[in-house]
Amino acid sequence: MFQGFPEIKEALMSNRMQAAFMVAPMAIALRAQGVPVKIVYLGHRYGSAVVVRKNGPIRSFADLRGRVVAIPSRFSDERLIIFKALADNRMNPTDVKLVEMAPPDVAGALAAGAIDAFSMGEPFPSQAEMGGYGRVLFHARKYWPDYISCVLVVRQDVIDSKPEAVQTLVDGIARSGLWLEKGRAHREHAADFVGRYYYRQSPALLRWALTNPIDRVMYEPLSPRRKDFELITRLMRQTGVLDHDIAFEEYVDTRFAEGARNETSWKYEAGAGSSQ
Amino acid sequence: MRRTLIITGLWIAAITAAHMMLNVDWGVLINDRLPVGRRKLNVAYIPVT
Repeated sequence: MFQGFPEIKEALMSNRMQAAFMVAPMAIALRAQGVPVKIVYLGHRYGSAVVVRKNGPIRSFADLRGRVVAIPSRFSDERLIIFKALADNRMNPTDVKLVEMAPPDVAGALAAGAIDAFSMGEPFPSQAEMGGYGRVLFHARKYWPDYISCVLVVRQDVIDSKPEAVQTLVDGIARSGLWLEKGRAHREHAADFVGRYYYRQSPALLRWALTNPIDRVMYEPLSPRRKDFELITRLMRQTGVLDHDIAFEEYVDTRFAEGARNETSWKYEAGAGSSQ
Repeated sequence: MRRTLIITGLWIAAITAAHMMLNVDWGVLINDRLPVGRRKLNVAYIPVT
């Protein structure tokens, strides 16, 4: 487990990690810079929001003019959603000040008044809401239908030498996604398990993030789609974090998603002792 | 003097053993030393969607 995307990038490049969940623009930028990695699947859809102080003066997006907004990385969809909202509200890119901040730090920074808002993935918007000091100004889907953020990236040498291992990994994510979409009980069970054994976060926080509302984060469909990524590369070009066009096939390998197309949900009922 | 040295040595050994048990991920350490072809994939993530 890492605490920030730049560290994940370094671990992937140095082969300390062979695969990683990272924000899509960072994966595309790595490939554009010649790093031999490919996106093979999505981690989820939606699940990002812009959060402001609960009793603060910001009531609409236009109120963010002149304010400081934290983002996880300049290579993140959470940054691009701000630019998309700025354009939709006929505002200029210079109307807000963006600062990069490690995701676990943003809720505290908002509570302390160090920032005016943050654009971040779950569970940090939920953390600010549960803590009573944050309010969701908007969820990413308001400005970006079919929004995606984290993607699964795998080193090219692993794809070439162990395609069956990559397929097993993608199949497992596909099955887990389908399982999570089977209802509230599954999401609550996942929150308890992941909170304790993976994220080391409060299960109550993850329950909030996964069920309030139920489609706050979605885990299907997770296949990488050309139009979603072409939108991301276009926004990256417009906002100065990608200096040349890059073809979808150069940074995405769709064969593993195609291989997982007929996968079905894990046969495991929430609370049961074992899975099949 | 000898008694003090023995107690200190035992204390250091106990702390070291506890540290090795609680803070070292032996699975990762062993995996990183296997030949590339036999290694399990290390998948990085951060606690965020």
